Amino acid sequence: MKTMSMMEAIREAMNKRMREDRNVLLFGEDVGAFGGCFGVSAGMFDEFGPERVRDTPISEGVIIGTAVGAAATGLKPIAELMFMDFATVGADQLVNQAAKMRYMFGGKITLPMVVRLPLGAGISAAAQHSQSLEAWLAHIPGLKVVYPSSPADAYGLMLQSIDDENPVIFLEHKVLYGASGEVDENMAPIKFGIGDVKREGGDITIVATGKMVHEALAAAEKLSADGIEAEVFDPRTLFPFDKEGLLKSLEKTNKAVIVTEENKRGSFAGEISAIIAEDGFDYLDGPVVRVCAMNTPVPFSPVLEQYYIPSVEDIVTAVKKMF
Amino acid sequence: MSTIGIIANPASGKDIRRLVSHATVVDNNEKVNIVKRIILAAQGAGVTGVMVMPDTFLIGYKAQEDLKGSRELNIPIEILDMRVKGSVEDTILAAKLMEEKGVQCIIALGGDGTSRAVAKSITVTPLISISTGTNNVYPEMLEGTVAGIAAAAVSTRTSNLGQSCRRDKRIEIYKGGKMLDIALVDCVISKQTYIGSRAIWNPEDIQRVIVSRANPASIGFSTIVGVKKIVGEDDNFGASINVNTGENELVAPIAAGTMKEIRVDEPVIHPLEEMFSMTMDYKGIMALDGERELPFKKGETYHFKISRDGPYRVNIKRTIESAQINGFFNR
Amino acid sequence: MDLTNEKIIEMYRTMKRIREFETNASRLFAEGSIPGFVHLYLGEEAVATGVCSSMNEDDYITSTHRGHGHIIAKGGESKYMMAELFGKETGYCKGKGGSMHIADATKGILGANGIVGAGHNIAVGAGLSAKYRESGQVVACFFGDGSTNQGTFHESINLASIWKLPVVFVCENNLYGISMSQARHQAIQDVADRAVAYNIPGIVVDGNDIFAVYEAATEAVARARSGQGPTLIECKTYRHKGHFEGDPTTYRPSDEVQEWMAKDPLPRAVAYLMDNEILTEEELKKIDEEIVKEIEDAIKFAEDSPVPSLESIVQDIYTDIVEEVR
Repeated sequence: MKTMSMMEAIREAMNKRMREDRNVLLFGEDVGAFGGCFGVSAGMFDEFGPERVRDTPISEGVIIGTAVGAAATGLKPIAELMFMDFATVGADQLVNQAAKMRYMFGGKITLPMVVRLPLGAGISAAAQHSQSLEAWLAHIPGLKVVYPSSPADAYGLMLQSIDDENPVIFLEHKVLYGASGEVDENMAPIKFGIGDVKREGGDITIVATGKMVHEALAAAEKLSADGIEAEVFDPRTLFPFDKEGLLKSLEKTNKAVIVTEENKRGSFAGEISAIIAEDGFDYLDGPVVRVCAMNTPVPFSPVLEQYYIPSVEDIVTAVKKMF
Repeated sequence: MSTIGIIANPASGKDIRRLVSHATVVDNNEKVNIVKRIILAAQGAGVTGVMVMPDTFLIGYKAQEDLKGSRELNIPIEILDMRVKGSVEDTILAAKLMEEKGVQCIIALGGDGTSRAVAKSITVTPLISISTGTNNVYPEMLEGTVAGIAAAAVSTRTSNLGQSCRRDKRIEIYKGGKMLDIALVDCVISKQTYIGSRAIWNPEDIQRVIVSRANPASIGFSTIVGVKKIVGEDDNFGASINVNTGENELVAPIAAGTMKEIRVDEPVIHPLEEMFSMTMDYKGIMALDGERELPFKKGETYHFKISRDGPYRVNIKRTIESAQINGFFNR
Repeated sequence: MDLTNEKIIEMYRTMKRIREFETNASRLFAEGSIPGFVHLYLGEEAVATGVCSSMNEDDYITSTHRGHGHIIAKGGESKYMMAELFGKETGYCKGKGGSMHIADATKGILGANGIVGAGHNIAVGAGLSAKYRESGQVVACFFGDGSTNQGTFHESINLASIWKLPVVFVCENNLYGISMSQARHQAIQDVADRAVAYNIPGIVVDGNDIFAVYEAATEAVARARSGQGPTLIECKTYRHKGHFEGDPTTYRPSDEVQEWMAKDPLPRAVAYLMDNEILTEEELKKIDEEIVKEIEDAIKFAEDSPVPSLESIVQDIYTDIVEEVR
């Protein structure tokens, strides 16, 4: 076991696979000698060189498209976009090409590729550098969407993402890059579609993703002081989604709060809520509640931004209303 | 009244030589700019009207519109009323119409093919050929402004025509008594069998080169003769040489940036007006001024003649110097 | 240039195969046998044939919505193509793609594409892959004049030029982006002019002359293969039909259509074969008949093939996940 930041865990997982397999390469804006906008790829250029850790021009469409073409012809590319918001610039390549090629071609093409998307609010990056757009991506058949909340999960899920033979969207919450935790570098890849109970509890299930897992855990500690024991369930991957894991928790707690950093309207939290309504209705003894960001663009001013992001207090308040 | 004609070929400067001999793409908006500079210089030097060939890119209209927009245009621009085919036939027809309408000088903007097409039509009109590329044998690299001044000097008769214009030689190609085509500088007999991308750049297939002039201080297939025997513009003869045979090992600049080692026979001199013939013992293509044009079959006989019936080419420097002596620039 | 009679005949066969396939596709679409949209390659046969004839079997291509010609030229089999157009289980894509999405990775065909300009980026990715793997492969990226106003055109050529990727960008300038003439959709007449901005060679060739296309492509492919980077070849051509089958083409002047019909690449190729005595009329007739028969067989194969099972709807999305059918 080794203590690592989330950023290090992502980097070390990429390093491990790049050392093992020459067909794995990383490219994106400033990922080379500069080390990546947030420093995720620091040192990789020195180890693997300019052929394998490639700086690209600021051209998100061709970054993703290059990954598609390279994956279709024998490589295992990892493409980094500097911010998830920029996926909109290259959306065609992600949505119409990467996601659909295998299906449109009758299964005759395989696209083992990873697109890394740093996301989330909390650093005053304002409305074009802070969004959580995972619902858009999880909506698209053909993509897998991975969203780790801890260094260990990031490590194991990145290994699996690179091993996977399909286009994988790997979401990295910017604020979590510095979060540290224990990582077993010899761990097996974490299979997709298996959620993780981050805290056990019998009174309510808090489903949370990404950074909100940490807010949910903090809320659970506060609630515990008031006698409510919350179970915190982190699905870790949005597609495939661990429905069984969620329902198992729900069977025990009979209550669900879903916490994500998305705009509430049209969010993946809504999808989780619908899954519960369709398949877990009998376990429920009250309505499902979503705690999400407000339906506004992400504001710049720290005061407004913190108000926008779901807080520990928001979660505590929402949970308490259910008792 | 002094009128000049401008023929700008929208297709020049883009052929395969960009790929095989490091030539530069010349974009059409630059051609519009060159035409504008010609018009402004000609206008400033006393020309009273300009005729322009219509083309698919609308070079003439664009130049006219821009100069009207910038309020710099004071003389009428007439775009010839003719149907645009988007082929070399446009140039041939435009040159003919311009001569019929009595323009006193034609400026052709394009490559060797453009000049050759103009030369097919005109008989008396002085010609200024501006190169829009790096690969040309006949046209000169010349700033449009200077071309405009020279055309003005010619068209206003300020310059002594006898001194400033020279009648060029040409190569005439005949079959069965009928003239099929002409080349201004060189006719290359090649074993290639299709026209394809027109340009020629590989010496391997070449059998013979016929030249009206040849100088090593130039480029193109005529230099295969030129590196062995200089044939001057004033010389009353042309020459030909058999290629890929013979005892002489030479190196020649057969295209821009392309020095090739070539084996040749001794060059043969062809006096003006003397017909000589070739019976082909293979099928192939004749490239005229660097462009594959005329396919021929095995067993066919062709006759060639070097004549001085080429265009009256304006010597830019002499023209403008002569004009200056005659007070052309005095106001 | 080294071009044997056998190769010239093979190129003619390819052009004829495309012509026959498309002529029948047009008819079958009109008759209602082919659902959806069909964008025909009629008139542009020399481009795909000339380019693909200059490439190796393991080289790659990316194609467009008007892709049938590219796929045939790169070795795609007409019966699987026709079955796909019919939406049958035996089609190249098991009936999941249709006309605009035919691919055959085993022949380097990285897919037709329904998004104008999308193939550029994929071509660059394949180019990176070929260069990185030092496989010696090259990529031909086919696209129309319309797509050169998409950002992907610029992004991809830029990346290919800075990384010196082995990609040949082949613009099929058929003078129209759907109904919008080139003069209205861009301020240039030659897409090749744009090569200057990316410091790569840009050339214009007669796209209806199989030899002109072949020569240019051969040089560009050699350049790409030897590590010198991409080339932009603009092939001037014309589609005989509308943008899609059913397009009334009222936006094209009839004299323009006539002029271009006179430049039809197939009769020009036939004239060459005859003039140069490469084929006798009889031999030509025999080749034509073989191709007619091949396409007839393809249609029969498509007609006789089963439609896809409803269960197949959830297959081939992922390599490992198959969701339940409704």
